[in-house]
Amino acid sequence: MTQMMTIEPATTHATRHATGRPKIEVRNLDFHYGTSRALKDISLSLPERSVTAFIGPSGCGKSTLLRVFNRIYELYPGQKASGEVLLDGVNILDRKQDLNLLRAKIGMVFQKPTPFPMTIYENIAFGVRLYEKLTKAELDGRVEDALRRAALWDEVKDKLDASGLSLSGGQQQRLCIARTVAVKPEVILLDEPASALDPISTAKIEELIEELQADYTIVIVTHNMQQAARVSRQTAFMYLGELIEFADTETIFTSPREKRTQDYITGRFG
Amino acid sequence: MLYARRRLRNTIMMGLCVAAAGFGLLWLLVILGELVWKGTAGLSISVFTEMTPPPGDAGGLLNPIVGSLLMTGLAVLIGAPVGVLAGTYMAEYGRHTRLTGVVRFINDILLSAPSIIVGLFVYEVLVVTMGHFSGIAGVMALALIVLPVVVRTTEDMLLLVPDALREAGTAIGAPRWVVIRHVAYRAARAGITTGVLLAIARISGETAPLLFTALNNQFFSVNLGAPIASLPVTIFQFALSPYEEWQQLAWTGALIITFAVLALSIVARVLAGRGESR
Repeated sequence: MTQMMTIEPATTHATRHATGRPKIEVRNLDFHYGTSRALKDISLSLPERSVTAFIGPSGCGKSTLLRVFNRIYELYPGQKASGEVLLDGVNILDRKQDLNLLRAKIGMVFQKPTPFPMTIYENIAFGVRLYEKLTKAELDGRVEDALRRAALWDEVKDKLDASGLSLSGGQQQRLCIARTVAVKPEVILLDEPASALDPISTAKIEELIEELQADYTIVIVTHNMQQAARVSRQTAFMYLGELIEFADTETIFTSPREKRTQDYITGRFG
Repeated sequence: MLYARRRLRNTIMMGLCVAAAGFGLLWLLVILGELVWKGTAGLSISVFTEMTPPPGDAGGLLNPIVGSLLMTGLAVLIGAPVGVLAGTYMAEYGRHTRLTGVVRFINDILLSAPSIIVGLFVYEVLVVTMGHFSGIAGVMALALIVLPVVVRTTEDMLLLVPDALREAGTAIGAPRWVVIRHVAYRAARAGITTGVLLAIARISGETAPLLFTALNNQFFSVNLGAPIASLPVTIFQFALSPYEEWQQLAWTGALIITFAVLALSIVARVLAGRGESR
């Protein structure tokens, strides 16, 4: 923590980041809930196969930004995004974008575990069946593979026919991650995935994120700054709908360029 | 002193509440007791195997039982799917539209409309135009009573399904109708089923709408184009008659309906309870 207090001269550049070509590029993004403007001219680019964290106080727009990436906000009337969000160079905010295909490519895990009211097996097979015609054996393999990736297989392999709702909170959340991984997405969005979980479950989820970044581009929204510091390579600090600073996680936490970033990470507000 | 007075007042108030509850329950028990006492006296296998008799003769309730089952079943087959679809529109597709508000308002009026009005409506629309009473008119009248109950419960139960679950289904790439069919319906299944069962319970005792539509039939008939017997109407007719055999059959018929509805209510409660515990 003492390290966080040291202020270095602002030599680091806001858009510097670790590795990889950009997977998602946001350009001049604005977002409105009805008439209120929740995101103000956001531009940033997220590198491939890497974990990016969005941090900031409640209401800063970090979840809103995440929800633009799979256009889930369109479930609700009156929510509108303008600007550009490029996924591999293609603007996903384009009207012609097929939303279901987009969401199959960009998976999402929510704050509260949301297992479907069906068996553990069906929870995972559900999404796979939407886009692929597999034989029973292939589907079994996919389910097992997804559960293994989510570090849940050993705990549920003998009760795949039990209801997904019978699992504990932490297990339910890993089931949701398995379900997301099973449809083979390219990007995984995590909206405070551990905030409803106990410390042990949280640690498991964080370990999982660490492993998953080898294959997926991951974006995580979190209230927990230590968590952002532990799991991410880049961190974006947002405040009142604006992107204040975006840099390597280490830079953000040790030598932030902006005073507001520093005030937030040192716990002076938020 | 003050405390003692409060305690006294509490005791008095509680006594009044218990007495009021006891008073209500007493009459219910008296009615049920009388029904069971008089109803079981005439209960025998012939009630379920023989036709309604002419005055002064022995017989059973086979034709009204079959008629009731037939009309109730068909009414639910017509009313429940329409109601579920309408409720689905209101809770899922049109949640924020003006139309939903209007439909909900009208549905609530229909829900509390006296059933005799429904009977009169179907009488005007179907019986008068067909020129005679018929089973199909009875079915339509009952279906109109089922409809608002199912619309209401379907909408309410779907609104109880958390949006997070719909978002999760959507986020995995499922189209809207798949999310509704495989996620929302499953989550609301117990509640919607309960609503349908309660609607069945409600129509199985309805007399007024059937008087104007299906009327009655002394003989066994499953012809929907002609009048059909039903338990409530038969009870109504037999209970008011001066013949002892008919009066006995009316008691027995009332007992059968009461226990059928009781059984349905129990099933509904068990289902609803299972829905909550999950």
